[in-house]
Amino acid sequence: MDVLKDGSAAAIYGTRGSSGVILVTTKSGKKGKAVVEYSGTAATENVARTIQVMTADEYRALPGSNDLGSETDWFDAVTRTGVSFVNNLSISGGNEGTSYRMSLNSRNVEGVGLNSGFDQLNARLNLTQRALNDKALFSVSISNTTADRQFGNDNSFRYAIITNPTLPIYDPKPQSPNFGGYSERDIFDWYNPVSIVEQNKNDGRESRLLASIRGEYNFSSKFKAAVFYASQRETFWNGTYSPKTAKYGGGFGRNGLASIRNNESLNDLFEATVNYDETVGKLGMSFLGGYSYQEFFNQGDFSQAGNFLTDAFTYNNLGAALDFANGLANVFSYANENKLVAFFGRANFNFDDTYLLSISSRYEGSSRFGENNKWGLFPAVSAGVNLANLVDITGVSAMKLRASFGRTGTQPGESYISLLRFARQGNFFYNGNFIPSYGPVSNENPDLSWETKDEFNLGLDFVILNNKLDGSIDYFTRVTSGMILPINVPVPPNLFPTTLLNIGEVENSGLEVLLNYKAIDKSDFKWNVGVNFSTLATNLRSLSAGDLSFGAVNYRSNFGSPGQNLTQLIRVQENGPLGQIWGPIQTGVDEKGAPILKVIDGTAKDANGKPVYCNCDKDRAQLGTAYPTINFGINNNFNYKNWDLNFFFRGSLGHSLINSYRGFYENTESTTVQNWNVVKTKYFDPNIKKAEYNSSHVEKADFVILDNATIGYNFNVKQGKSVGKIRTFLSVQTPFMFTGYTGVDPAVRYQDPDNGDPLAPGIERRATYFTTKITTLGLNLSF
Amino acid sequence: MKKTLNIKYFLIGLGLTYFASSCVDLEEKVYSQVTSDNFFQTDEEFISALGGAYSSLSKLGNHSGLWSINEISSDEIVVSHKGGDWFDGGVLLQLHQHEFQKDNPFLNNSWNFLFGGINTCNRLIYSFEQLNNANSPSYIAELRALRALYYYWAMDAFGNVPIVTDFTSTDKPSNSSRKVVYDFILKELNEIIPLLPIKKDGTTYGRMTKWSALVIRMKMYLNAEVYTGTPQWALAAADAATIINTGPYTLNPSYAANFAINNAGSPENIFVYPYDKVFAGGFNWVMMTNHIVSQATYNLTSQPWNGYQTVEEFYNSYIDPVKNPGTQGPVWKGLALERSTGTVDGRLSNFIVGPQKRADGSVLVDPGVEVTDPTGLKGDPNGAPLTFMPFLNEISPGGLRQAGARIGKYEFEKGGTNNMSNDFVIFRLSDVILSLAEANFRLGKTAEALALVNQIRARAGGLQPFTTLTADNLYAERGRELYVEMTRRQDQIRFKKYGEAWWPFAGMNRPKKVHAPGSFLEIFPIPNPQLLANTNLKQNPGYN
Repeated sequence: MDVLKDGSAAAIYGTRGSSGVILVTTKSGKKGKAVVEYSGTAATENVARTIQVMTADEYRALPGSNDLGSETDWFDAVTRTGVSFVNNLSISGGNEGTSYRMSLNSRNVEGVGLNSGFDQLNARLNLTQRALNDKALFSVSISNTTADRQFGNDNSFRYAIITNPTLPIYDPKPQSPNFGGYSERDIFDWYNPVSIVEQNKNDGRESRLLASIRGEYNFSSKFKAAVFYASQRETFWNGTYSPKTAKYGGGFGRNGLASIRNNESLNDLFEATVNYDETVGKLGMSFLGGYSYQEFFNQGDFSQAGNFLTDAFTYNNLGAALDFANGLANVFSYANENKLVAFFGRANFNFDDTYLLSISSRYEGSSRFGENNKWGLFPAVSAGVNLANLVDITGVSAMKLRASFGRTGTQPGESYISLLRFARQGNFFYNGNFIPSYGPVSNENPDLSWETKDEFNLGLDFVILNNKLDGSIDYFTRVTSGMILPINVPVPPNLFPTTLLNIGEVENSGLEVLLNYKAIDKSDFKWNVGVNFSTLATNLRSLSAGDLSFGAVNYRSNFGSPGQNLTQLIRVQENGPLGQIWGPIQTGVDEKGAPILKVIDGTAKDANGKPVYCNCDKDRAQLGTAYPTINFGINNNFNYKNWDLNFFFRGSLGHSLINSYRGFYENTESTTVQNWNVVKTKYFDPNIKKAEYNSSHVEKADFVILDNATIGYNFNVKQGKSVGKIRTFLSVQTPFMFTGYTGVDPAVRYQDPDNGDPLAPGIERRATYFTTKITTLGLNLSF
Repeated sequence: MKKTLNIKYFLIGLGLTYFASSCVDLEEKVYSQVTSDNFFQTDEEFISALGGAYSSLSKLGNHSGLWSINEISSDEIVVSHKGGDWFDGGVLLQLHQHEFQKDNPFLNNSWNFLFGGINTCNRLIYSFEQLNNANSPSYIAELRALRALYYYWAMDAFGNVPIVTDFTSTDKPSNSSRKVVYDFILKELNEIIPLLPIKKDGTTYGRMTKWSALVIRMKMYLNAEVYTGTPQWALAAADAATIINTGPYTLNPSYAANFAINNAGSPENIFVYPYDKVFAGGFNWVMMTNHIVSQATYNLTSQPWNGYQTVEEFYNSYIDPVKNPGTQGPVWKGLALERSTGTVDGRLSNFIVGPQKRADGSVLVDPGVEVTDPTGLKGDPNGAPLTFMPFLNEISPGGLRQAGARIGKYEFEKGGTNNMSNDFVIFRLSDVILSLAEANFRLGKTAEALALVNQIRARAGGLQPFTTLTADNLYAERGRELYVEMTRRQDQIRFKKYGEAWWPFAGMNRPKKVHAPGSFLEIFPIPNPQLLANTNLKQNPGYN
């Protein structure tokens, strides 16, 4: 596996490489005796962290609490220890002309949430054949994956966190209507969490078939050509059913509600390349030219209908729903396609392994752009010099200075944006009947063109201290221009108030350092320490295109329901950094329990002329930054005789997060207390009786986590035995974390998890329910 | 040998041609939508396109658009902040307190609704002009009438709005003054009124007719003093009289029948948007106003939102025996712990008040009730049973969940969905009759005016006729008759009541802004996203 991060290395991979490239080369067989390998793991997964809420006793002690007479740990009721098994078996081998590898992989994974998990089976065959005096090489790969899934229901976690802890799971005196025996309450935005996940079915099935063939012909030792064809077909099916007794999921209101979704995605890739290598004296040269054609086609359908006589069919007999007759069923189907075509070339020069130069370019077209903007040119150049070959410094075994520039492009996430399209938009009452009404679906943007990212990289690779320390230091600057974003436009002349267009420019820059130190390097004891860290500075250079603009300052994202739908959280400012968490500053609590918010502007006055909080952006301030000052990782690896031990810490410092659960539920407002459980962190203040986002909900989220610790043992196997290698290991993932953050997960949020908005980072949404720790026991055998 | 070579070149040439044409072809093939290449060709497709101009009216019955800004900023409707619910960044409170801010998203929704509608009309007028077939002139006249309606609403709400009539223009428009927009709408109406259909039947139901266009012009004249500084009472009276005397409309014997689930047969409704739970969704009042547990009263498919409430003083204007004389009987008042005595106005069907029941008649309980407080100031006065009380304790933050009479004007369907099937009344005859009464009153013809007002009172049921007519009781009668019909804000401005301090509670985090008649607050600010998108637009005076 190779990771290509800098822009020049990624540029030749085009659109698919704009966020960096990971090349995965699947294993193929080697000639010789057939090798059989087995690896298996058994793992358990448990909840590590969730949001802290009151126990039944704490809740009952609150004034105005609604004691429902029982005691339930709701989060415990909807989670479990997930047990998983993974098995891999492979056979590989070959002879002079042929090599092969067959593998089988099964995964049986139980989720931490009730009724969630999947059973997956993958079979793969890789075959390579040489022919025509070894001048031709053919390889074929076929892989098929199928998975059955149970999706559980994330809302069971959300409601478990806020459910009154004195409510029993089951209704002791079932009343009419009877919700399947579960306790339900008629309150806003709440459902019995156990009922949600136990009564509603949400199942899926996926399959993925990937087949590829590659032919290569070596015309001479210097010149070769290859063609590659790959085809992938993916299908996805999802069925849901909410029974008549399920208050959540629509079953109760709709008298049983079922849905079926199908999607099929086809992806065909054809690629042809020619290579020419030449050496002139000390100068090595390598040239590559190629053409690539990729076509994506997607189609699917969705049907949802309710009103069943019986729950017996679940999602297996949609036609039995009365909704098809009374017009309340919802059915749609769709198909869309897109294409990518590219011509590319690369020239590499290597003088005496000392001076390195690579120049490449990719001319790529995407069907998703406007008629005259489909094509983009993505050049890259990188140069390096091996200083160690030029000057001899004691203890320095390698020292390479690199510089590179590369441009990559991004296409929009959906097709047809450049075209004016019409679709059905409701109905029109015409001469006593409803007839379908048609109109445009969006503003066409025939000028839509590539979003580009220019990356400049300056780096140093080194191996010093007599091979004890190696590492690299990189400084990078990335400028993303013509970002494809929706922006407000006037109506008229436009048809709709937003258009997706190329707008604005963001600059990211930072330093990345990687160090690896061989602290002890003896034959039976080795200790390696690896350290990496990186910094990131952002600057939103512009949010304008021509006379269109988001404005020099704008506010994004909203806090959510109940009651804080239009509360905006993140400030976006031209020529300012990204990730400004924004809001009112709390200075105290008034006698009614409402937060006292700092008056900054002072122009809003109450009836007595006293300045009051204006409930506008003038009285809000920056409350934190979403981006960390530094991200780091520390790895320790020990080898002692047959034992190995590895542990990896990582962390981020300097960033803040908005803790949404606290913003909604850490207060003793009467409705909160009557309806829900109360969040209780170290910040809990019984005097706060109003849910209103302010500075007290923005927390520093510095953390250090033990990401993984593994201990392994390699058994001594005597030569000549049928077993070649035996290794067992025990590993734990994220067993503990150091942080002062009281939310669920202090990880940096680089975008709004609700809608993927990259301009609104720094929010931990209520959809973050828990983190888990995983303990794995593994065995590797090879024969 | 030579021949084979030729074939070889031919094949290579063929290969290259194929390559050039297909392997670099990036045309997009559209599968599940249509483009202008394969649309707008048959008569049926023209009609379906015409429908696009009307279907945007479906936004009238939603939360957060033109209806909401008109009603919440008037003294009819409030959406109080109920504990953790309905604060929503304070935008609903701002509307009610007249602290209009240009970044209020409701204003932007309204602007997009209005100008989206205007632009659709422009687009279709252009298309039908290009098409120039036999039906084009009548469709174009109809679209110009509909565009005049959108412009009338836009001029009423935002005052100084841009005038665009040419769909092909790509210029960013600048504002015209309210007076210029007023003149433009009048000119349009004067030109098209003779061209519009006059029948009242299935072919014109839910469509613009001569009568709807006349109602727009009548309302323009009725408010002319507000819009232009020059009153036009006589012209308003003339249009109203034309509609009453020559139009195909009569008062419905039952007030409530105009708003029933099947109100398509109303003889009184002049222009409606025909909603339907299956074919034309978007009428969500059943969700917007009902309590969460009211789901069980109507066996609704989803849970209502417990939002929109009636201002208590407005509700009291129906039951007040002095201001609204009539038969005295048991009515719900204040905390609604028991029935009081008051005027049993037949139009109390506009409200849902008092104890609520499940569909089977049993008591409906609100399990999320606040603490019990017999004064209703700090908690629920009658405990768990759900009782809608006209009393409103405070606007923010502790509005009680059961406070406020709910909007019962349109009948709710048992087993209904969040989309109601009642047709939404945009114009109806009783508004025209009361407008004629007002125009006459302003012209000094008080006797004629009084007779018209009493005609409406007689139909309402349970009322005695007024013996004298004053500006105040005429204004109050319009309020009672036209509750939540998007006329109150306009009436309040015209009767110079819009800037008064209604509902002056201590419970407000600060009281409603009081302003003098003619204040800049009588039009809304132009929404900020529009100013950002179009630098040619200027903000209305008084706002920054």
